[in-house]
Amino acid sequence: MAQVSWRNREARATSRAVSAARPQRKDVGLLGVGFFIVSETTFFLGLFLAWFFTRNTSDVWPPAGVAPPPIAPAIFNTVVALLSTVAVFFAERALTRDDRRGLVRGIALAGALGVLFMAVQAAEFTDLATLAQGSAYGSTFTFLLLFHVARVFVGVVLMGVVLVRALLGHFSRKRRLLVQATAMYWYFITGVWLVVFAVLYLIG
Amino acid sequence: MASISIPIPLRERAKSGLLGWLATVDHKKIGVMYMVMSFFFFIAAGVMALLIRLQLAAPNLQVVDPNTYNQLFTMHGSVMIFLFTIPMLVGGFGNYFVPLMIGARDVAFPRLNAFSFWITLGAGLVMLLGFLFGARSDAAWTAYVPYSTKSFSPTVGMDIWLIGVILLGIGSTLGAVNFLVTVYSMRAPGMTAWRIPMFVWAMATTAGMVLLATPVLTAALIMLVADRNFNTQFFTTNRVQLWQHMFWFYSHPAVYIMILPAMGIISEIIPVFSRKPLFGLRAVVISTVLIGLLGFTTWVHHMFVSGVDPAIERFFMFTTMVIAVPTGVKVFNWLATLWGGSLNLKTPLLMCIGFLGTFVIGGISGVMQASIPIDQYVHNSYFVVAHFHYVLFGGSVFGIFAALYYWGPKITGRMFDEKLGKLHFWLMLIGFNITFFPMHFLGLQGMPRRIATYDPGRGWEAGNLIATIGAFILAFSVLVFIINVIKLRRGAPAGDDPWEGNTLEWSVASPPPEYNFLEIPTVESDRPLFDARMRTPHV
Repeated sequence: MAQVSWRNREARATSRAVSAARPQRKDVGLLGVGFFIVSETTFFLGLFLAWFFTRNTSDVWPPAGVAPPPIAPAIFNTVVALLSTVAVFFAERALTRDDRRGLVRGIALAGALGVLFMAVQAAEFTDLATLAQGSAYGSTFTFLLLFHVARVFVGVVLMGVVLVRALLGHFSRKRRLLVQATAMYWYFITGVWLVVFAVLYLIG
Repeated sequence: MASISIPIPLRERAKSGLLGWLATVDHKKIGVMYMVMSFFFFIAAGVMALLIRLQLAAPNLQVVDPNTYNQLFTMHGSVMIFLFTIPMLVGGFGNYFVPLMIGARDVAFPRLNAFSFWITLGAGLVMLLGFLFGARSDAAWTAYVPYSTKSFSPTVGMDIWLIGVILLGIGSTLGAVNFLVTVYSMRAPGMTAWRIPMFVWAMATTAGMVLLATPVLTAALIMLVADRNFNTQFFTTNRVQLWQHMFWFYSHPAVYIMILPAMGIISEIIPVFSRKPLFGLRAVVISTVLIGLLGFTTWVHHMFVSGVDPAIERFFMFTTMVIAVPTGVKVFNWLATLWGGSLNLKTPLLMCIGFLGTFVIGGISGVMQASIPIDQYVHNSYFVVAHFHYVLFGGSVFGIFAALYYWGPKITGRMFDEKLGKLHFWLMLIGFNITFFPMHFLGLQGMPRRIATYDPGRGWEAGNLIATIGAFILAFSVLVFIINVIKLRRGAPAGDDPWEGNTLEWSVASPPPEYNFLEIPTVESDRPLFDARMRTPHV
């Protein structure tokens, strides 16, 4: 870009408004998503802090008379979450080869698995309401599940958007920021689930 | 200055008038809106402070009833911290000057930036309108449980307050994402790490702290809202410490969120007005980042009477003393910059010197309280009130006014009246010390904070009366500032660079054009404008 042409346009540029945003390097969007995920991580760290604090200050854990929720649905959901992550991974990889059908298939599968995950959690929540109000253990347990599944919901909505836009042909090997961002967020959500599962169900 | 051309994407004509402000995504307009909003909240919380001081001027006064008193100091603290100091420094100066100082045309995500502002304003209005219409919180800005639980704060005011702070947290977290990406990826060519301006270093560190600390508070706030409204059991029976841990995990870093940008401002102004480079630039940068990191390891020093394990308390006593070291490094670097400089004693530098004096007093009383035995003695007394006002007013607010006098000409294109500026400074310095210095003695004499009144004969009368007189001098000084702002319209034109500054914002017009830089500048040192002046001799 020759400097001269811009000097000539100086008068025009000053009289007309000029959009200011102009990223000077690539990947600004993904970096933003990365930092956002850091803040999301600290949110869950806060909840885990509450969990371990309550655990360490309780004589009996889980408290007497409080039965831990069944582990079977959680194991099932762990499998669902991992499968959906694999689907997202292959969808993202398909796009790098400009394979748009692969993208649509992968995202559709991952989204469907996300919906399944939420359905299983919803069935769980019918019991969790009483658990939440019964003890600090139950409250923290419920909140960790609740705020995780809220992220799953956000992820599924994002994948819905990606799916529609993929069907409209918006994405290509060079134009895939939203796909990458959604994938990053989905990996994060799965990662959080693995920690939630380990802490709540395995360590207890 | 060598330049690199990057095509400016042309868009439609900027909307003028009201819509131009409401619909803007320009970081400068958003910055100005943050500043105006914060200043408005500053005045509101200042009026609350005056009511508090009137109530305490003499024993057994009843200017307001005790309940209202509790609501007043709760809102005074919350508004000053959440709606004035943080949005002014981070939202206001950060937005306006970070892109200008790094040679960028805007922040990385301009629309997200606008969203942050509007959610912050919305949160502020929720809190303030709730207060005006009687939905008032009275559990202090710390909202300690059990005061803030349903049993002790049954009204909706507490919920309004909690929701306000949750919204503010969302706004500032997203703002932090924006700053970090902007500073990381949008710096002008040649602006390597050691050439990043001090204020930008401070803002990046602050943004990192916001990003890591705020979500923990958000989690705690949501848990408290749930406890109050959905019968969850997070903070019931013996869980008061949990709230304190989660609250201070955010709120102690928040102290540095409020002071680091002010330190960044001081580090910009002192070299310009001493006509010297900043002494020990790298030491200042490293100290800034160290304060940011250590800031996360000190929060339990707020809980030395909460029954924390003594071994843990001792660890936090140690870290609290350690964090004074990088702070001291900075203070000595500023002094060394001033030393032997050709001082240009204009209002911005006076404000910086005021900052140095008062902040150091606050810092020293801070180290005193790091010591567990001293803290247990003065905990919850007026000594603490004196300490944090010396840090937050003597530090942050002096920094804010220094920035307003320094950058005001850049923002408005007009110079402030120097005489009024100096009057403002002296009145503020005197009023501030008269208000808060006696509180040290009141605290040592056993006056607890947050009491609505006191009986005569405890030896607290004189100190309180003096503090109240000081508060009104302080308020008058702010009035002088407001007059100075009003007089700006007839102020002398500022020109591009009234102070012979060092950083890129002084290379563009005052006020800067919407796109900031017609050509993106190239940076060859930590003082690009100094380089430019050296190359082109004065006309």
